[in-house]
Amino acid sequence: MTSFKSIFARIIFLHVIAMVITAMFMPLVLYWFMKSSANDLHQQAMRDQGELLGAHLALDANGRPTLDLPPALRDLYSQAYGRYAYAVLDGSGRVLFSSRQDEAPIFPRAVQSSEIEFLETRQGDAAISGVSMQKQVGGRTVWIQVGEDLAHRDVIIDDIVAEFFKRVAWITLPILLLLLASDIAIFRRALRPLLRASEMAKLITPKRTDVRLSGQDIPSEILPLVGAVNQALDRLEAGFRVQREFTADAAHELRTPLTILRTRIDALLDRNVAKVLHKDIEGMARIVSQLLDIAELETFSIDRAEQADLRALCAEVAELAAPLALAQGKSIALSGTERPVWVNGNAEMLTRAVRNLVENAINYSPAGTTVEIVVDKEGTVHVLDAGAGIRDDDRELIFRRFWRQDRRRSGGAGLGLSIVARIAEAHAGTVGVENRPSGGADFSLRLRRIETPIQAQAVLAG
Amino acid sequence: MRLALVEDNVELASLLSQGLKAEGYETDRMTTAADARAALSTTRYAALILDLGLPDGDGLSILREIRQRRDPLPVLVLTARGGLQDRVGGLRHGADDYLIKPFALEELVARLEALLRRPGQLLGRSLQVGNLVFDTESRQASIDDRPQMLSAREVTVLELLMRRKDRVVPKKLVEDHIFGSSGEVASNAIEVYVHRLRKQLSERGANVQIHTVRGVGYLIAEEKPA
Repeated sequence: MTSFKSIFARIIFLHVIAMVITAMFMPLVLYWFMKSSANDLHQQAMRDQGELLGAHLALDANGRPTLDLPPALRDLYSQAYGRYAYAVLDGSGRVLFSSRQDEAPIFPRAVQSSEIEFLETRQGDAAISGVSMQKQVGGRTVWIQVGEDLAHRDVIIDDIVAEFFKRVAWITLPILLLLLASDIAIFRRALRPLLRASEMAKLITPKRTDVRLSGQDIPSEILPLVGAVNQALDRLEAGFRVQREFTADAAHELRTPLTILRTRIDALLDRNVAKVLHKDIEGMARIVSQLLDIAELETFSIDRAEQADLRALCAEVAELAAPLALAQGKSIALSGTERPVWVNGNAEMLTRAVRNLVENAINYSPAGTTVEIVVDKEGTVHVLDAGAGIRDDDRELIFRRFWRQDRRRSGGAGLGLSIVARIAEAHAGTVGVENRPSGGADFSLRLRRIETPIQAQAVLAG
Repeated sequence: MRLALVEDNVELASLLSQGLKAEGYETDRMTTAADARAALSTTRYAALILDLGLPDGDGLSILREIRQRRDPLPVLVLTARGGLQDRVGGLRHGADDYLIKPFALEELVARLEALLRRPGQLLGRSLQVGNLVFDTESRQASIDDRPQMLSAREVTVLELLMRRKDRVVPKKLVEDHIFGSSGEVASNAIEVYVHRLRKQLSERGANVQIHTVRGVGYLIAEEKPA
């Protein structure tokens, strides 16, 4: 049998099969029932007529049987009417009385037994059906035969049975089709809550683990499944939460010991050693911050109404990163449009993305060079450095977690660019990298600009 | 000057108070929110250094209580949480500034001084970068204790820079201070003042450097020994 993916198709398919079988057999069975009950009625009528005839049989003074029919009965059996006929035979098969003029028996081949016998015979156009039954008349045994011509124009029961197929049977087909149509509608209706539940289920992602399937309107047979799925989701969500909280907690817990370490180093007398150790701590602190950023990003989803001024937040990043760059003998500059550039997005997250790009550029560019942040009015930020650039093979890889261009370098775990990529993705934007003709890398973060900012004043970068 | 330090990590608290003592601050150390409440209700402190993660309650609730009393006590929040919500939350509940762990003791002291130097606060009026000192009251700059003559506009620029030592002063802010926010500004006027100031300071032997962050602003820092 064909296997259906859809429970709906399966139900309809089976339903159609059942319907076809019903459509074929139901009229046949009905026909058979009608025919047999018509037959029973006929036989009952014949037997009753036989009994009635028998009641008018008597013996005369000579001991010979006589039949004295009232006029009404005589009319019924008259040749003129021709519908009914009777004959009374004695034990030797000789006809004693008959409604027929030729005095012939109705059923010449009747077996003369004590049992009532139902018989049929044809005489010309007439299809005669009737009984042969034994009767005791004053000690003599006679057989009464009664027959009816079923082909007679007054007999309508046969016509009804015969007409059944022509007139009535075809009605069952539309009725069954109507039933099918209404069942389709019922099934659809019954399955609708399930479809709704699956729409809900589609919303569940690692970032949205709080969605649960609604049990409302769900058929009681399916409800346990929905309940079980929801419970499974609860367990999954708890697992996710533990994992997320672990990352965040671990990062939090690392920060206090790092502060202690840092303060102890501040107290060291050998300033050169202290300086080197400070750098190490800064590197570790950065990884911790990035782990926290990642943990936070896992649950972050952007609010559609949020808007941010890209130009303002780039200026803020330049301000924050300038001391870092200057401390390493490098410089930073902001150029491009001087007007606000409004994009859809969370200012804090976008600030982090740009900051990661800028910090990355500062780390990979040689002393004496300038990291340039260029904001264009279409909603793209370029971060240009004068470093070694990115190899073509690495262009995709650098946005993955824990990937680093130079594994020997310390101070980063290769998380920064993956954070940028994740933030860009959350904002339906893109991040990419090209090599500049003059050498160095050109990282670009493309976001969706909005033509008419809703509230151009309230959203501050950061 | 007495500070309240609420930090549940005893080791860190002890290191910080040692470091602050070397800078001339006495500290009272508290390790729980309850201790902190008790101490704050009886003693008048110059400033409060508050760690947000405490064993018996959230540091933020202490902060809220202080601000509900309309107490102007300067509060510097220390936090191991650097998340978006935490930072915004801390400032919204009335923290004057916050530091994310791990921080340098230097940074803590610098932020503390900035808080104490605010109007109505207790710290002295002089700002220092390298051998350059600026008295905010007399508006007098001196290099190695030798008073320097500077034009009014140069003094304005220098004060802005020194108030935000090691941090970028946006060019817009300088423009607003010199010309007012509505005035027409000649496009290169600020560059000219900064250039002049830079030249003056270098000629008179100040070991400071005014960096230009193109498109953003300026930053003053101690000159690094080459």
